[in-house]
Amino acid sequence: MAEKEWGRLPEPPREVVLRVKRYDPERGRTWWQEYRVPTYRGMTVLDALLWVKENADPSLSMRYSCRMGVCGSCGVVVNGVPRLACQTQIAAVASRENPVVTVEPLHNHPVVRDLVTDFTAFFEKHRRIIPHIVRRDMREVEEAEYEFLMTPDEHLSIYQYSLCIMCGLCYSACPVAASDPEYLGPQALAQAYRFIVDVRDEGYDRRIAIVDTEHGCHRCHFAATCSAVCPKDVDPAAAIQRLRRIVFLRRLGLWRKRKVAPLAGPLEKPLRRIRAEYPRHNLVEGADPERQAREPVDIDFREEWLRE
Amino acid sequence: MASEERGRGRLLHNMPGLLQASLNPWLVRVRNNPERLAFVLHRVTGVIILAYLVAHIFVTSATVDEALWESVMGALSGPLSRVGEWIVAGAVIFHGLNGIRLILVEFLGLGVGRPERPKPPYVPPSLRSGQRKGLYLVFALSLAGWALAGVIMFAG
Repeated sequence: MAEKEWGRLPEPPREVVLRVKRYDPERGRTWWQEYRVPTYRGMTVLDALLWVKENADPSLSMRYSCRMGVCGSCGVVVNGVPRLACQTQIAAVASRENPVVTVEPLHNHPVVRDLVTDFTAFFEKHRRIIPHIVRRDMREVEEAEYEFLMTPDEHLSIYQYSLCIMCGLCYSACPVAASDPEYLGPQALAQAYRFIVDVRDEGYDRRIAIVDTEHGCHRCHFAATCSAVCPKDVDPAAAIQRLRRIVFLRRLGLWRKRKVAPLAGPLEKPLRRIRAEYPRHNLVEGADPERQAREPVDIDFREEWLRE
Repeated sequence: MASEERGRGRLLHNMPGLLQASLNPWLVRVRNNPERLAFVLHRVTGVIILAYLVAHIFVTSATVDEALWESVMGALSGPLSRVGEWIVAGAVIFHGLNGIRLILVEFLGLGVGRPERPKPPYVPPSLRSGQRKGLYLVFALSLAGWALAGVIMFAG
């Protein structure tokens, strides 16, 4: 998601009011709770939630893991926008005039407790579109001896979609997912597109049959909020529109896969084996030059790498 | 608040629902997303057009008698129904223009940009490509067309 203040965030207010929407599954009760959290420069919403858990209210539940926007566990709705708590600076969502930060669990996912949402259905939808390479001869993948050949341009056509971390923000922002629980959702459909256009893949007909349904790609109405909230710039909105074009043309018999990547096969020229040389100066701690000289190591190199 | 048994606790179903999703463009307060506003307007104008169509068919099919037709037309020529007709005209203009844009985007995949290597500040290609310019054009033409319809209906 584009951060307007990117690179020039102001100092956060000394203290923010964290309004958290809480849910108690045992009593089935939902309520808003406020915490006053002292801030520091660089504090994220996740840091503030953890401060609350450590110092104010140990019963507050949330899910997080990596704290750096890689794992996709800490998606919450901050001030009405689905965001990763670990990537959202307090200074970007609170100001001295308005030091209130509201934190809610992600919409469209069932809430387990407080900010923890249940992703079972979400992952099930991802699994339904067969999110792996499918070949006519599956032994090419399962007993792979060689890689599939792919040009950089072909890789670029799927690279953006393969960055998805399955954080569920797009699904939470989608207005169609808000009314249709069966809808496959932007994440699964973008992944379906990513595998259908992947040159290494041959399972496109199976996937097209899965997404070409009432609750599949035709349900999308291009509100494009999924792309606007995506923290990894995956652009599900564009992927779904291009997927829909493929499905539409396929129905008319006008689309077919242009190219399927072949296996790389054995090397044309054998690799050249050279003796590795160990550094003799500035040794790392624990390195033993005499032992390394006694046990030499050979490395396989391509001719052209050696020339460079 | 529907909920579902699961172990000791219950899951809270946290979905805003069809009405919220179709009527509230600020359900998600994200910037740089006029497509969401267009989505809501498209739904609302669609319902307005459908309601007008049903009423139109009802009025024209029920009034077979000439005297009854005259009286109904007289009742429907007041200023309030003129304003209503103007709103229907605006709905038709926006729904039609945005519909052309949606057909181009959704069936032919036009104007959503090409996949690229993401670079900060992470504005996805679909939010700065042809369809976005088309959307601004749709908004501008709809406003102009609606104003023109108002001039024709009220000044003429």
